[in-house]
Amino acid sequence: MSSALASLAVVLLVAPVLPGLIARTKAILTGRRGQPVLQLYSDLGRLLRKGAVYGTATTWMFALAPVVVLATVLCAALLLPLDGRAALIRFSGDAVAFAYVLALGRMALVLGAMDTGSSFEAMGASREATVASFAEPALFLALVVLAVLTQSLSLSGMLGSRLVPGVEGFRMAAAAPFALVAVTLFIVLLAETARVPVDDPATHLELTMIHEVMILDHSGPDLAFLLYAGAVKLALFGSILVGVVVPRASLAPWLALGLLVGGLVVVAVLIGVIESVTARLRLTRVPQLLVAAATLAALGVILVLR
Amino acid sequence: MTLLFSGLFLIGLGALAAWLLEGRSRASGALFQVLAVAGCALGGGAAVRVLLGTPAVQIRYHAQVLGGDWVWGLDALSAAFALAVFVVGAAAAVFGVAYLAAETRHRRVGASHAFVGLLIVAMALVVTARAAIPFLIAWEAMALSAYFLVVFDDTQAGVRRAGLIYLVATHTGTLALLALFALWGGRSGSFEFDRMMAADLSGALPSVLFGLALVGFGVKAGFVPLHFWLPEAHPAAPTHVSALMSGLMIKTGVYGLLRVITMLPGAVAPWWGWTLLLLGLASGVLGVLWAMVQHDLKRLLAYHSIENIGIILMGVGLGTLGMAYGRPPLAVLGFSAAVLHSVNHALFKSLLFFGAGAVARATGTREIERLGGLARRMPVTWIAFLIGSAAIVGLPPLNGFVGEWLLYNGLFSSALSPAATPVRFAVWGAAGLALIGALALACFAKVGGVVFLGHPRSPHGREAREVGPGFLAPMIALAILCVVMGLFPYAAVGLAWPAGALVAGLSPGSAAQIGFHAILGLRALWLFTLAIPAVAVLLWVLRALLLRRRAVARGPTWACGYAATTPRMQYTGSSFVAPLVAAYRGVVGLEVRRAPGSFTTEPIDRVLEHVLLPAWRAVLDVSARVRTLQHGRLNLYLVYMLVTLLALLVWLYAAGTGAGIRP
Repeated sequence: MSSALASLAVVLLVAPVLPGLIARTKAILTGRRGQPVLQLYSDLGRLLRKGAVYGTATTWMFALAPVVVLATVLCAALLLPLDGRAALIRFSGDAVAFAYVLALGRMALVLGAMDTGSSFEAMGASREATVASFAEPALFLALVVLAVLTQSLSLSGMLGSRLVPGVEGFRMAAAAPFALVAVTLFIVLLAETARVPVDDPATHLELTMIHEVMILDHSGPDLAFLLYAGAVKLALFGSILVGVVVPRASLAPWLALGLLVGGLVVVAVLIGVIESVTARLRLTRVPQLLVAAATLAALGVILVLR
Repeated sequence: MTLLFSGLFLIGLGALAAWLLEGRSRASGALFQVLAVAGCALGGGAAVRVLLGTPAVQIRYHAQVLGGDWVWGLDALSAAFALAVFVVGAAAAVFGVAYLAAETRHRRVGASHAFVGLLIVAMALVVTARAAIPFLIAWEAMALSAYFLVVFDDTQAGVRRAGLIYLVATHTGTLALLALFALWGGRSGSFEFDRMMAADLSGALPSVLFGLALVGFGVKAGFVPLHFWLPEAHPAAPTHVSALMSGLMIKTGVYGLLRVITMLPGAVAPWWGWTLLLLGLASGVLGVLWAMVQHDLKRLLAYHSIENIGIILMGVGLGTLGMAYGRPPLAVLGFSAAVLHSVNHALFKSLLFFGAGAVARATGTREIERLGGLARRMPVTWIAFLIGSAAIVGLPPLNGFVGEWLLYNGLFSSALSPAATPVRFAVWGAAGLALIGALALACFAKVGGVVFLGHPRSPHGREAREVGPGFLAPMIALAILCVVMGLFPYAAVGLAWPAGALVAGLSPGSAAQIGFHAILGLRALWLFTLAIPAVAVLLWVLRALLLRRRAVARGPTWACGYAATTPRMQYTGSSFVAPLVAAYRGVVGLEVRRAPGSFTTEPIDRVLEHVLLPAWRAVLDVSARVRTLQHGRLNLYLVYMLVTLLALLVWLYAAGTGAGIRP
């Protein structure tokens, strides 16, 4: 319990480092100096101390959206076994709750964007909903593989142990499905956190954005909530990935936490490398990438059900 | 049972009063509202008592007609469905009076209320009948009163067409049910459900019975491909009738399927389960894809009923698989998910239809693309509609989530069955359900965003006024129920669990054992569902504190530097779903019409327009050709007879078998 709380606090604290790490990786690889790694902290601090401007068309929905987005991300964090052992809240089928509570945040964000009455934001909203409809089945197929391999219906059982050679209870037959799931989850992570090749957070043209254009009109504390929620969401999906790849259940709590933070840093650097070496996909191609991810996970399901 | 029947009596009295007091519309309307709500309260009380653990009861009426005694009973399965009937029925009765009060050119408002009362009573009788004859009588009373309600606005050709399609469909289904009960009753020697259940059925007969039930109840439930009447009939009816039909009447089909499975415990075959699961999956995915492209708000909601019936059917399929492969926990999970989602869908779908009706009354149109910005003009309707939308998408912390969570639990645990049990393959349903959920989110984001948010797109929306209390009270009540059932998953699952155990053929004691694990998890789920609003409220307070002494300004929305935007430049609903339509080109059934200077899209129902109507036209073609034989002249008919007679004689002679008449 205490180690779970401590891990949650650490993850919530270090989450804003990750976008900075991605940006720094990209800067180094493209020969620029780049922003400080801790840039997001000062951005958040600045935004929280500012006032806000609201569009003339907007209603309470627009103001509510950032609150719901952040609340759902924080609640989703309660379901992940961040210390490698058990989550603060765990029950049979909490993996479903994890995906659906994030969907609640998505619904709020999309409706908030539609509330501005602007075509740009609605365009982003439409794309977000489309991308999610392809990412969701991939995520669930990956969860199915994990559930069968670990014989557990809870994220606390699915992530953690028995998955890597040398750990007690490991079966060689499980290696291939795990590799497939890891790849699928990484692609889902890129889609859910709006990174290249699904979405480009660095683009400057509203017409080509997905996530960025939805939060175009938010300002002040609202924008701070959204930016922080984005960073935490990245950390959560990163933690799932780390949970799949690195078994930490039998380690000392501080070591498990250290491995998680180290894993998150690796994930961030990896995203930075991908963003430096690949271009964004055309929007009509994005579904193909996600269907491919779902196919990999489906292959994993076939392997474990056989 | 006394409580139940006194409730039904009061509703019937209300219907009678509405009919007789036709002239004094306001008084009769109010009287009908009061009697219907009181009757529904009594009936609902009876159902709740059974759900809380009062033993199931039966009454028997010694009928002096064919088919034996008429029996009614209230067990956990009947009670769960009856409760939904009474809650939504009461809401619809109240809403209907307010909705039809504005109907001035029509004089049969009282008759319409009377049919609403009759429909509620008939549905309650359908889910409590325990013998074939009263079941079929109640079934037909339900189907016919729904028909008369659908054709309320019979001056419109479209409404008459919808009514006809509905009538043909429902009677096709009844035909299958007649065959079902005739076969079954004939074999068991009684039309009472208890004796039919005890009958010794062997060989292929149970599978034939199941097939007949699947068609007969399937037409009423409206899953793909038997759904074709649903998107025609539901939008054509007045709004509260759409709510009754979409929310409740299609559930009687689900109830029928569950009852038949309950009555064939030993004979359940795996292929039943796989058929149900696949039909459910197809229905869910196709239903939501077809819903997405609709331009008419009520038609869109009708297609979502097809989607949700699909989800329910997946639960029934999983439960059946659990029975067939001897895994009781799966059976209980699947069946109770189906029951819970049926009740949930009854609540949020009628809420959404009420919202659509309020919008139609306030703006005079149901065209999604003509609306916009209604959140400012109709704030209460918007909040209720938003809650309904989030519930139907299955988002926590609302009731829709609890039902889908239960179903996911069942689908995931099917994969944990021991190796070499085929039931493990049911787990693919989880990915399908995820797809359905994500698509439903896109669809309801479109509806909410285009109809209620942004700027009004036409004068319809600009002059809208919030609707009156007669509209709002039922919507608020249903929205509160959706929230409460979501925040207290214990109660929601408790409502459906006994019914699931009953269908799975388990005694109450063992059901509690199986449910223990899930119920243990329920406490944590409860904590989680409470955490969501709690964290959101905390953050809202934090935001208010942060903004307290800061400058909060209003300004124009960023339009990429362009200064002269108009409401017409907003994204439309069609543009919103365009990427998804592009991805699912082959199945959505969107007809694009291009002309110089104009471009329109028309959603069409693939099954109705591309399969059934062409087939019907082929039948007409063949009949037209046969028709040339019919001249209406007596002498010609005499010639036909003579020719036939001669031909028969020649045939008898040639075959040499007509021993008696050999010349």
